Amino acid sequence: MEDYGSSDDDYRYSDQDDSDCELYENNDQNFELLSSTAQVITEESLLAAQKEDLRRVMDMLSVRQHHARTLLIYHRWDVDHLFEVYVEKGKAYMFAQAGVSVDEYHGSNSLVSASVMCEICMDDIPSDEATRVDCGHCFCNSCWTQHFIVKINEGQSKRIRCMAHKCNSICDEAIVSSLLAREHPDMAEKYERFLLESYIEDNKRVKWCPSTPHCGNAIRVEGDKLCEVECSCGDQFCFNCLSEAHSPCSCLMWELWEKKCRDESETVNWITVHTKPCPKCHKPVEKNGGCNLVSCICGQAFCWLCGGATGRDHTWSSIAGHSCGRFKEQEKTAERAKRDLYRYMHYHNRYKAHTDSFKLESKLKDTIRGRISKSEETKSSELSDYSWVHNGLSRLFRSRRVLSYSYAFAFYMFGDELFKEEMSKAEREIKQNLFEDQQQQFESNVEKLSKMLEEPFDTFEYDKVMEIRMQIIDLSTLIDGLCKKMYECIENDLLGSINLGTIHSIAPYKSKGIERASELQVCWSNKANNTGVTAEFDRSEESGCSSRKRARKDGEMFDLNLPADALDRI
Amino acid sequence: MQASRARLFKEYKEVQREKTADPDIQLVCDDSNIFKWTALIKGPSETPFEGGIFQLAFSVPEHYPLQPPQVRFLTKIFHPNVHFKTGEICLDILKTAWSPAWTLQSVCRAIIALMAHPEPDSPLNCDSGNLLRSGDVKGYQSMARMYTRLAAMPKKG
Repeated sequence: MEDYGSSDDDYRYSDQDDSDCELYENNDQNFELLSSTAQVITEESLLAAQKEDLRRVMDMLSVRQHHARTLLIYHRWDVDHLFEVYVEKGKAYMFAQAGVSVDEYHGSNSLVSASVMCEICMDDIPSDEATRVDCGHCFCNSCWTQHFIVKINEGQSKRIRCMAHKCNSICDEAIVSSLLAREHPDMAEKYERFLLESYIEDNKRVKWCPSTPHCGNAIRVEGDKLCEVECSCGDQFCFNCLSEAHSPCSCLMWELWEKKCRDESETVNWITVHTKPCPKCHKPVEKNGGCNLVSCICGQAFCWLCGGATGRDHTWSSIAGHSCGRFKEQEKTAERAKRDLYRYMHYHNRYKAHTDSFKLESKLKDTIRGRISKSEETKSSELSDYSWVHNGLSRLFRSRRVLSYSYAFAFYMFGDELFKEEMSKAEREIKQNLFEDQQQQFESNVEKLSKMLEEPFDTFEYDKVMEIRMQIIDLSTLIDGLCKKMYECIENDLLGSINLGTIHSIAPYKSKGIERASELQVCWSNKANNTGVTAEFDRSEESGCSSRKRARKDGEMFDLNLPADALDRI
Repeated sequence: MQASRARLFKEYKEVQREKTADPDIQLVCDDSNIFKWTALIKGPSETPFEGGIFQLAFSVPEHYPLQPPQVRFLTKIFHPNVHFKTGEICLDILKTAWSPAWTLQSVCRAIIALMAHPEPDSPLNCDSGNLLRSGDVKGYQSMARMYTRLAAMPKKG
């Protein structure tokens, strides 16, 4: 039954390979060690995904599967933590804490002999209609079933305790399922689903993909949880906060930025500063010059200073039937709000410009596809490899996103909102210059690349095409390096120097773009390859090297390498 | 629904049979509704509730005994874990630590035990809890005794 014939090593190697053989074959020098790897868990592979953890616990503690699951649910699927408790506090403590009774009940076999009295319904029950659980307590089947249903409906599926007083023992999932299945198959199904999904719900390494409509997948991340991943449904997101991938913004910055853009709070701010509501029709009125006697388009005249309705007559010194003061106070607030607004506008405009360019350039994808096919018709013999166009394009898209988020980052990094107390004014200025230099360099090269990719290369001579090809490859490499440098600057020189813990940690830069979570089914196919007895044999015989080879073969099956595929994803 | 009815009926018979077994508890089922019970319990000796007779009202849920019955004091009582106005009782076995193996009779026993051993750290009656927590046992006892006299004892004369 448990012939998931791939060892831990196999998983690990296949993950790495899947993500290694990504978009940019040309950028060999940019190979980087992956600090985290992600996998897609589908409805079908959910069981297989938890098998590995269950296996480890079962082997280590030599317990049965349902006990392993109970323990893991209690420890939120953190196997290492579970083992820590085991080492520190001992087995007995750990089992009691999680409600696992492994001491099989060895009492007299009264069950076999006669009827038993169920303490719940207080009926005498033929012993074959009663069930004894691991902790030794025995009640009648119908009471058990009712108990299970009540608990499942209370949302307690993952921790259904024995009915006996002060018994902390968790009921055997096989007993729960089989008793429920007799008359309430829907409840049994619900129960089993809850148990399976505990692996997602109660596990900090696994999260549901945030796509809407929901694709049904979950993503599991090994290693650093602060990363950006792409689900097999195509949705790219930040694993930490589950919103769109937003590095180099930190999650908090991004949350604030999104909110700011959404509320248009600055517009509201501008309106309150620059206009006053007409006392009659209540529309906001802007003063476009002249004295403080303002008249609304509705005809009402009012005083700009205090907003009160007035008569229409005025002289140099007074407005008819009205006088008021307090002028300077308002001027000050107005100025500050104006400055803040301009600052926000500056960053927002650039953020928006790059997001818009990204959208426009997405159309370029189709254009380029057209050019390639045209080009293939005319000069098929000379030029068969177009991966450089795809790679350049992917680099462009990736960089555009980074650029737009970098402006949101700068808004908060050098603004008063988050780090006012953390940096002196001079310090901030130095840092801002440092960052802006890098950003500028990065930005100008991205624009160059964009221009280069717009060239109608299908109409060019061979030599010209090769020239463009070289330029695009060089530019891509250059941009990649610059982007990486900018991230490093942000991580080390900007955020690193501010001691705020990890709130503002950002997902690390990946040259190859946002990591695409690999299908967990890879291990299913392994399983299919190694059937039965040979599975065990393979595992013990293979060295790390050869399993790596086999995993790579699997990788090829999924064609993660194909440029066309890469193109579709963007 | 049927299961709870059957079980309550069993408990009813049990109560009838052992009427004299526990002289401190007198459980009575409502004539027309088996889901409504009342109980008279004696205040435990050597407590300020000694000599008082307290009335409890039980409301049994549909999923009994898988879900706990709701119990409250009908007689006014000055106790840290009983709401002074509503008579609501704060007792773990009536909430999270409920087990279907409990019966109405055993719940009564648990309540008597609670009267003798209050838990001032999770008070429903803060005045009463504060007296105990500040170490004023005398004050607590005299207040509790006064309310026992006022509410839980037959009027003299």
